Amino acid sequence: MADVDDGAAAPVSEPLDLVRLCLDEVVFVKLRGDRELKGRLHAYDSHCNLVLGDVEETVYVVEEDEDEDGDETVKTIHKKSEMLFVRGQ
Amino acid sequence: MSFFGFDSTLPRDRGHNTRAPGFSQAADPFAGPRPEDDDDALDFEDTYDGLGNQLDEMDDVFNDDTFGDDAGPVTKKPVGKDFDFFGQTAKVSDAINEEQLRFSRQAPSSRGTPTASTFPQPLPKPARTGYERYKEPDYVPDMEVDASLWGVAPKRPAQAPTVGSPVNPVIPAGGRKMMSLEEVEASMRAQAKKPAQPQQPIQQQQSAPQQYTQPPQQRYHDYQPQHQHQQFSQPQQLPFQASGPPREEPRPAHAGQPHQPVQIMQRSQPTPTQPIAPTAPSQPTQILQNPNRYSAEQHRSAPAVQHPVQHPGHQSRPSGSRHIITHPQQLANLSDEERAAFLMEDAKRAKRNHKIFLLSKDNGLMTPQDKNFITRIQLQQLVTATGNPNEHGSDPSLSEDFYYQVHNQIRGGPRQHPGQPLSNFAQTYLFQTGGRHAGMRRQARGGDNHMQRMEQQVQRAVEAAKNKPKNKQLVIEGSLGKISFSNAKTPKPLLNIKRSDSAADAQRPSSGVRDRKVHQGGVSGSDRKTVLTDIENVYSTLMQLEDHERLMPPPLDNDDVNPELAGFHIDWREKEEKLNRKLWRDLKVHEPIGATTTHPFIAFLSFSKGKKCIPRVFRHITQEQRTTILTIIVIHLDHLDVVRQGLLQPGETQLNSATRENIELFSLAVTHTLFGYLNEVGLDIVTGLLGLILNINIDVIARTRIGVSMLTMLLSRAELIKQAGSNEREWDQWVGIYNAFFDALEPTLPNIFPGTVNTGEDVYVWQFLAAIGIGASPEQQQRLVMAVKDRVMETVAHAKTLPTAMSSQRLANVNLFMRSIGLDVELLA
Repeated sequence: MADVDDGAAAPVSEPLDLVRLCLDEVVFVKLRGDRELKGRLHAYDSHCNLVLGDVEETVYVVEEDEDEDGDETVKTIHKKSEMLFVRGQ
Repeated sequence: MSFFGFDSTLPRDRGHNTRAPGFSQAADPFAGPRPEDDDDALDFEDTYDGLGNQLDEMDDVFNDDTFGDDAGPVTKKPVGKDFDFFGQTAKVSDAINEEQLRFSRQAPSSRGTPTASTFPQPLPKPARTGYERYKEPDYVPDMEVDASLWGVAPKRPAQAPTVGSPVNPVIPAGGRKMMSLEEVEASMRAQAKKPAQPQQPIQQQQSAPQQYTQPPQQRYHDYQPQHQHQQFSQPQQLPFQASGPPREEPRPAHAGQPHQPVQIMQRSQPTPTQPIAPTAPSQPTQILQNPNRYSAEQHRSAPAVQHPVQHPGHQSRPSGSRHIITHPQQLANLSDEERAAFLMEDAKRAKRNHKIFLLSKDNGLMTPQDKNFITRIQLQQLVTATGNPNEHGSDPSLSEDFYYQVHNQIRGGPRQHPGQPLSNFAQTYLFQTGGRHAGMRRQARGGDNHMQRMEQQVQRAVEAAKNKPKNKQLVIEGSLGKISFSNAKTPKPLLNIKRSDSAADAQRPSSGVRDRKVHQGGVSGSDRKTVLTDIENVYSTLMQLEDHERLMPPPLDNDDVNPELAGFHIDWREKEEKLNRKLWRDLKVHEPIGATTTHPFIAFLSFSKGKKCIPRVFRHITQEQRTTILTIIVIHLDHLDVVRQGLLQPGETQLNSATRENIELFSLAVTHTLFGYLNEVGLDIVTGLLGLILNINIDVIARTRIGVSMLTMLLSRAELIKQAGSNEREWDQWVGIYNAFFDALEPTLPNIFPGTVNTGEDVYVWQFLAAIGIGASPEQQQRLVMAVKDRVMETVAHAKTLPTAMSSQRLANVNLFMRSIGLDVELLA
């Protein structure tokens, strides 16, 4: 009985159901433009707009050496935000 | 004056002019009702027959006379076929209209001029008079009949009043008019049966000058005026001619000069001094005439009607003069004051009449059919503008119109859904008009049709809207895809996922499998996703419950039992119970204990959001359920993450930040909630809980902050209950448990302090020791002091090295414990 009830209560029928489970958890988000976020998920919606708290943002920047020796160096930029809104879609 | 000039120009026109007014009047539907007409009609039939016979016979005989003289050039005798009745009338009509306009503008001046002032009654007569000259009164009877039929007579009177008002000063003339009219009627009746022969010659003569061949009826019209003229105005004409403008001469010459003769006649009447002229009689005649006139010359008719009583009203002329006109004798008799007052009054009346006149100027312009037609157009526009009938069902335009909604709310209309207003409106309106129609049916058939058609149209539109299936997708034949329509309200769905029951059933097996897995995960305690799912379920149920809370019906009144309200309460409680059971299931408090390494509920509490929901859960569960939760937590105290992770590992001076955060959250959310609940429970429960703790790893519990605070909570509650007075048996029970607990705890006592003395985060421990000390027996207290003596001494020593504030703080903490056992830090110092 319990099984059936539980199953009906919250089936994971779509990806967002999994996102829901991550509410109030620390999540890792990859964004366009070589950015990554790590923060506590406060809210989301069907467009996957996200509200994150205590976010640590990492931006990867590729820089070519001016010597033209073909070397590329990847720089990372770290930012921290207390609260961050990520636009979905 | 203009009239005369005009007439003089063309003989034909003149002839037509006389007719023209007749025709235009004839067109007026109202002209018919004139009282005279009835008599005339009867006469006419008789006369008409005679004419026809006579005409045939007479043609040969009279041709020479008639055409030879006047119509030599005309050659229009064949006219019988040629007559261009309408065309010429039309030509003339323009002139007539111009004349009328001119006249109306010149009204004031015209007053002064005798010509302008044509009396309503006399007017028709003069036209006739022109003919009269040609022929003897014999024609007149025939003419009269015709005129009545055509309605010519009424028109002329209508004109007459307008003109007449100015003339009024010559009161006697008006009187004559009155008299003349009556006489006319009488004469018409008398002469109606006069021989047709005289008419024929007349006709011939007329036709010749006019160059038309007029049908007998037309002739009659023309003659009729003539006839009237003869009877009434012949005497008048003579004077008139003498004084009148040159037209008079032409008019006599030519039979048809409607305007001129009329005007002349009018003038002649006033001037000539026909003996009759009591003002009173004149008024009635005018009134009689007025009804006949209508749309064509409303303004004129209006003044005419008013004329008898209120001359001044006619054309806004100075009232004084009119008064004088109306009541010459009276005026003469009046004193100056009275006269002035009278004039004033008259002026007022004049003003009012003028207003009425202005207002009524456009009366009757539209026929009932016209009105119905307009109504129909307006209704259609309303129906289409208010909302497309096809969208009638939903009527989004209305439902989205904020102001409409508000307006409707304010008006408190019975409308219950947005679709209603339109149909209601249409129906009510249509019904109204329909009802009105029923009344009007006899009069206006055409209008009825319009309205009926209109109703049918609306009904059809509504039905169509109802029947029309709402197609949200269009499948073009032969194409592979569908075209879906979208609007602001229902955006085009990009994904079409069906969530039918069957689909849900199909998913069942898999979900069942997952559930089993979940369950096993719960059993293993390692399935993080399962726990998270549980938490989410709890939250959604919580939200439903909280929402349900807001819908709680107003409290029941004990005195006044409202069955409906009681019903609401029953329903509400049922729903609440249902939700409560669901919440309880979601919490998984009743999962078998010990069957899993970590109880689901304890796993639940290991997540921060799980902890956070406890205060909210407690608000919606029963006392029994709270006890159960507290019991579960106490049983698994050593399994709580905050307890397991709350142990300082050897060498650690401080817990990591995440754990500290967790502990903080737990003490805030869970412990605090439990404490609040514990303050309401009895000693038996406290005893039971402490007994449960005996069965678990006290050593671990006592070395963690959460565990210690839980124990403190229980002990202090017991002490409170004891002080409040409790029943002996329970207290004995508690003491037994407490002793066992103390024994179990004693080995751990030296280790319960976290970190070193330096950290200073041992307040809760001192509180705990104080709680123990209070409840402890003297022997136990001694053991207690022995156990923590070192820490006490260290702290006191450490406090001495600290600034005063911190030092006193530390000492105060120690003192919590010391005082509980009847000591004081001071003693140590």
